[in-house]
Amino acid sequence: MREIGFPYSDPIADGPAIQAAAGRALARGTSTRRGFELLAAIADSCPGIPLNLLVYGNLVHRIGYERFTDTVSQAGASTLLVPDIPLEEARPLRRACRRAGIGHVELAGPLTPGPRLNRLAEDSAFVYLAGFQGVTGVRHGGFTTVLRRVTEVAGKVDVPVCLGFGLSGRDQIESAFGAGARIAVVGSHLVRVVERLYRSSGDAADLLAGYRSAVLGLTAEE
Amino acid sequence: MRPSPRPRQGAFGSFGGRFAPELLTPALEELETARREIVPTTAFRSELDREARDWVGRPTPLTRAPRFSERAGLETVFKREDLLHGGAHKANNVLGQALLARHMGKSRLIAETGAGQHGTATAMIAARFGMEAVIYMGEKDMERQAPNVKRMELCGAEVIPVKAGARTLKDAINEALRDWTASLATTHYLLGTAAGPHPFPRLVRDFQAVIGREAKRQWRREFGGLPDVVVACVGGGSNAIGIFHAFVPQKSVRLVGVEPGGAGLDSGRHGATLVRGTPGLLHGARTMVLQDEEGQILEPHSISAGLDYPGVGPEHAHLQEIGRARYVAATDEEALAAFEVLSATEGIVPAFEPSHALAYVLRARQSGEIPAGSRVLLNLCGRGDKDLETYFSLGRSS
Repeated sequence: MREIGFPYSDPIADGPAIQAAAGRALARGTSTRRGFELLAAIADSCPGIPLNLLVYGNLVHRIGYERFTDTVSQAGASTLLVPDIPLEEARPLRRACRRAGIGHVELAGPLTPGPRLNRLAEDSAFVYLAGFQGVTGVRHGGFTTVLRRVTEVAGKVDVPVCLGFGLSGRDQIESAFGAGARIAVVGSHLVRVVERLYRSSGDAADLLAGYRSAVLGLTAEE
Repeated sequence: MRPSPRPRQGAFGSFGGRFAPELLTPALEELETARREIVPTTAFRSELDREARDWVGRPTPLTRAPRFSERAGLETVFKREDLLHGGAHKANNVLGQALLARHMGKSRLIAETGAGQHGTATAMIAARFGMEAVIYMGEKDMERQAPNVKRMELCGAEVIPVKAGARTLKDAINEALRDWTASLATTHYLLGTAAGPHPFPRLVRDFQAVIGREAKRQWRREFGGLPDVVVACVGGGSNAIGIFHAFVPQKSVRLVGVEPGGAGLDSGRHGATLVRGTPGLLHGARTMVLQDEEGQILEPHSISAGLDYPGVGPEHAHLQEIGRARYVAATDEEALAAFEVLSATEGIVPAFEPSHALAYVLRARQSGEIPAGSRVLLNLCGRGDKDLETYFSLGRSS
């Protein structure tokens, strides 16, 4: 799966790496409209690979749930995660996703109780489990607890479990799969890679090569 | 367009709700349970009332303002929240929430602050209750309000500069929410205004509603009947909802909220969220916000750091939508002139925030916004010591 996030001025679920990336993108004139163009280009270039869009609620609310989800669907994304529209307020969004033919994804955390997990999973394309109680890209505590939690959640819900928040290495991804996750998201780590490359060289070819090797380092054997 | 759905939790009409990440749900539910189960108990109420009297300094008086009234052409009476401990209405809310946090077994308080008033109030109550306090403050605001930073540190609080975004209040709230997500087991987020995700707008309103309850009783006793108009400034809206709440059922009483018009509504440099904003989701609630056409939040502007906020408490958005309250704007220039008028006519130096409400009353008779012969109750929500440095730096001659 690929995950794309649209930059937002007030990303309250994100840690420093993604905040800074959103700030850079907005300062350089990125817009939701250009985000959708990028989304479509990515979907076209890798058909068959699921594409999850992560976007904050106000960007969806501003354009309108139905118009936004229609545009997501036309751009070729398969699922939508809006981290600040939780279960209780998600009904209109879920309806819009269904209508547009895309999956809706719910966020769960280390403290989400069992019965609530089941309600989150209902009608959800997958459950996006935050491994740590906190914001993205920042680790609180050991990974063993995270893996235990993955196994627990995977045993409770009927939909795939996606592990995110604070993942940065291939061994973590492998152990997440071993614990029962079907998807693992590496976000802040790759954003930091981009930031470093961007600072050290303005050259697009260098940036792409460096990013490619960082991604391959996560997925392939050395 | 289809009407907006009513939020499922903590709605004020189509506004309010709990638009916060799932990871904050446990903290918000715990707080809502505490609000329902602890706040109404006799033990909590009597502790709150005692501390409000002995530490905060309630009740505050109603003060007639004959010389100001003459200038305005309207009989105006002030509710003197500027006389509270700390110099602003903020003490009402920090006392209530800190007591509640203590009952919930939390030992650490975090807060956001813009001008530093709420941060100072939080630092004061944390010192009194022996709790740890961490205050998030935009780096830019720390420069603008250096004396308040020192005051917080003197009370033992740690002030953390927020370097994200425009480095002001909005970014400080983001950072406090992020801290809370990771620290909710030991920490209470002491939000300073009647905004944010449910249950904050109700929690803060209920602790500030003492202003209106008291004023209503005092007015009846001293003047008889009810005021014709109740006026308050609106940033996040906690002092305004505090004085409005008791009067909402009395339809004869006109409620007017005054927002920061900054350099003028047409300049684009203002913080008049209700007057010029559009519905959006910010800091956990559906409310009126200043945003661009794609939903990115805009930076507000006001001479008053306490009103410098691109959102507003959702209950105000609702009161505006149903026509129960009216919201207007006063510019920086009008507020500064009113600041001077009140100082010179009544010997009260007001904060820049209520100076916006004063500015409205000063112009309202002439502009026809308030009919002649009306009796006005104005919430004088803070004193102006904190603004003197800024005022003198402007080099005005009054």
